Formats: sequence, C-alpha cells, structure tokens
Amino acid sequence: MITITRAPPYLTVQDTGRKHSLSSGVPRGGAMDGFALQALNALVGNPLDTPALEWALGGGTLRFQVDCVLAFGGARARAVLGKETVSSFTTRYAKAGDQLAVEQLTSGRFLYIAFGGGIDVPPILASRSTYLPGRFGGYNGRLIAHNDTLILGARPSSTPAEGFTCPPELIPRYESAAVRITRGPHSDLFDESTWRTLTETEFVVSTASDRTGYKLTGKPVSDAAHNLPSDPSCQGAIQIPGDGAPIVLMADAPTVGGYPKMAIVAEADLPIIAQRSPGERVRFQLVTIEQSQRALKHRTSDLYTIGATGAASA
Amino acid sequence: MLGTDRSADLLNRVHAAAAALAAENLQNVQDIVPAYLGVAVFYDSLQASFAEMSAKLLAVCERAAGSTTIPLALREHEISVVYDGPDLSYVAESCGLSPNEVVARHSGRSYTVDLLGFVPGFGYLSELDPSLRLPRRAQPRPRVLAGSVAIAGAQTGIYPLDTPGGWHIIGRTAKSMFDPERNPPALLSAGDVVRFVPVL
Repeated sequence: MITITRAPPYLTVQDTGRKHSLSSGVPRGGAMDGFALQALNALVGNPLDTPALEWALGGGTLRFQVDCVLAFGGARARAVLGKETVSSFTTRYAKAGDQLAVEQLTSGRFLYIAFGGGIDVPPILASRSTYLPGRFGGYNGRLIAHNDTLILGARPSSTPAEGFTCPPELIPRYESAAVRITRGPHSDLFDESTWRTLTETEFVVSTASDRTGYKLTGKPVSDAAHNLPSDPSCQGAIQIPGDGAPIVLMADAPTVGGYPKMAIVAEADLPIIAQRSPGERVRFQLVTIEQSQRALKHRTSDLYTIGATGAASA
Repeated sequence: MLGTDRSADLLNRVHAAAAALAAENLQNVQDIVPAYLGVAVFYDSLQASFAEMSAKLLAVCERAAGSTTIPLALREHEISVVYDGPDLSYVAESCGLSPNEVVARHSGRSYTVDLLGFVPGFGYLSELDPSLRLPRRAQPRPRVLAGSVAIAGAQTGIYPLDTPGGWHIIGRTAKSMFDPERNPPALLSAGDVVRFVPVL
C-alpha cells in the first residue's frame, strides 16, 4: 500500500485509455504523455499499459507501506527517495517506510510514477484511466487527495536491476522545436498560404490548455470561419476555430466537434506537445501519414527495447 | 466522408455504412464513429497501414452503397418524461404556444439519433417540430442535471451527465442515458429511434 502524505494539486490514475467506447461518446482519455507512461512501466517490469500516477501542478509526497519497485519521468522534477535524490527514467527500489518527495516540476507538465504491479483500481470500459468530467475510472473517478491510499497489483515476476536507466537516446526529445503533423480530414478547406502559416509560425501554448486541448496563439491561421456539421474528432487533431487560433485536441477531448480539423499531430509526437507548458513555443512540420506511422512504430519498438534491456539487467 | 452537405438522406447512408463496417468485424478496427457527413474508423496503426486499411474500408462502403436495402438493426426507445423543465414556459412564450402544446409537439413525433458526442452518451436527436425551434440560450448554464430533456435548433437531446449546457430544458427523465458500468455504456446508438412519453 502507498499513502499520499501530501497530494499535488493534480493527481490521477491513468493508463493508455479507452479505445472501444468512442462510438458511445466516451473520449479515449489515458495518459497525456503515453510514451512516459509506457517507458516507466517497462522500467518496473510491468506490461506497458499498466495504470500509473499522472502528476501535475506542484510537488507532493507519498509513503510506502510495502517494499516496491518504482520509476518516474515525463516532466522534469527533483525527487528524493528517503534521503537520496533519484534520477528520472531509472528503476528504483523503495523499502516499506520510505518516503518519496517530488519537489516543484521544473519543466514539462505531466510527471508519471509507475510502480511494479501497477495501481489496483477496477477497470471501467476496458481501462483504468480517470475521466474527471464523467467522474468515472481510476481512483473513484476523482483526483487523488491527501491521505488517500493506493493498493498495488501483484509485483511482476522479474524486474530490472536497481539503477537501470532508460538509454537517453530512446527518450523523446521533449525540447524538440518541431512537432510532426499530417494533413487532417478538412485539410482541403485551407489554401496554400494558410498551410504556410500553420507550418511556418512559431505558436505559443496559451493558458487555455488542459487535458481537453491546448489553444495556441501566434499568427491567426485563417480568418474564414467554417461552420461544419459535427464530425468525429481524435487526440492530436488540430482544429481551426473562427478566431484562427489553433486548438490541439488532447486526451479528454469530446469525440465529435464542429470546427474543421486541418491537421493531425503524429501520434509519436503527442508526448512532445503534451509536455509543453503555457508560454512555451511549438512549431509544426508537415509529414506524410506513412512517415507518421513509421515514427510510431519506431517509438513502439524503442519501448520494447527498454523492456528487453531492463529484463536482461534483472 | 460520404457527402459534403448535411441531409437526412446522407445521414441514412452514413448509418448504413457504419452498420456494414461493423458487420464485417474487420481485424485491427478499434471503433466506428458515424457523424453527419461520414464515418470515422479508428484502427491499430501498429498492425495495419493507412493504405491497406482504407482500401478495405472503402470496398465495404462501396458494397454497402450498391445494395439497396441494408437491414439496419433498428432499435426503438420509449423515454418517459416529466415536462416541468425550467425553460418550458420561456419556450412556450417564445414559440407562441401553451406549455401543453409544447409538450404535445415535442412528444408527438419520433426522432432519429443522428450521432453521439459532446459528452459520453449524449445523442443529438432529429428533427424537432418546426414550431419549437429556438437558438440556444445566450448564457449556457454552468450545470445541467443528468436526465434533463432539452431542445435547441432543430434538435432535442437528453443530458446523460451533470455538465454545462446551453439548450432549453423542458423536462426530465429518470432513465439512465449513460452508465460506465454497462456495455455499451450509452443507452442510445447512432441510427436508433426515440419516442418521448409524457408522464405526470
């Protein structure tokens, strides 16, 4: 068992989300930075889609009542286990009675902490992700608060050795200037000069950004208001509303929407945009669907490499 | 995309295509989401490429368009409604009708579920009696209670969860429109037929 002794303002349970309930209007949800979640699961010997903590907006502490293997990463933060500073994307073993303190996040938005065995919460619609607007999934459908306790699942039979670190070249380059995009379902509504604006402007992530979507400010992308009938949406879709300020839809975005979807962020690069804080910059680079799918395959094979290398260190 | 302009005919073809795609049980397909102009198919892109997936899906859609009668498994829902919503008198006044006439016109026809979305389990139902069509509220309510039956434009719907909302609330139902413990969690599916039954 783990007790939250000081909760950050935002703390939920997330896994890789709900892939089969979109037709009922249920957003996919799941970890905003799916790479960090899966890489950390690999580092503690879990299946990649095991539920872990998604942590944001500040520091906090938790106490272990059991021995446990853990790893954290995603947003950058200083973390101390017992009296020792621990590095991100590294396998660590905690003893019953130890405390893990996460200080302020220094860059990025979402920090993940995975535990061997994962967090034992009931599956709802084939996922253990928290969907806060619907108040279901994860930890009773709500934010985890001070004094809440987490039960861990059965510890994996084999876990990487203490201090095993994810090879740095396999971690996404979160600082990367460019985020890859493909043409979206309404790409033809936008002319060449509009496309140039989308791919040549340095946008700034606005404070109007949360798990539903990130609004970007900069040069308006189009001043033509397109009023379309509601159309299926997905995570990564870049909508252009009437004011021309793009909105990148994120994990909890509604399943349908009426703004034109000019482009779609390559799934492999979703973690990069997810980790951008308000005020930080982002640029888009147009690629083909084939390039986007290759990038995702590459990213996924990196995850399996982390798992295999970790297992070999055990 | 099966068309560019919204129409009842196009929506029928969309629902037929979605049903045909679902009936194929294609490998690697995760979900099928029909909307006004077309159907979105979500698939596992690690297992199938865009080129092979779109070829398979288009072939199914062409076959479906070729056959004249797609046996849609039509589901009908009767939803009991207490018509005592906070906007009933405003709607009646704005439409130049008595509250009883609003109730009679709202419950006097059957509706098609155009699509689901906005929030989990919310069905956009068409078409509302032309005499009841109003723009949505200028000020959306920060919280509309689950079960609220509301109208806006040519559509009506039932809020499945407590959410913000800008439609005019004319009644309420005790029916559970969305339950995450159920599978499927939404009571309604796109293409279903809904009738409202007034109760006291």
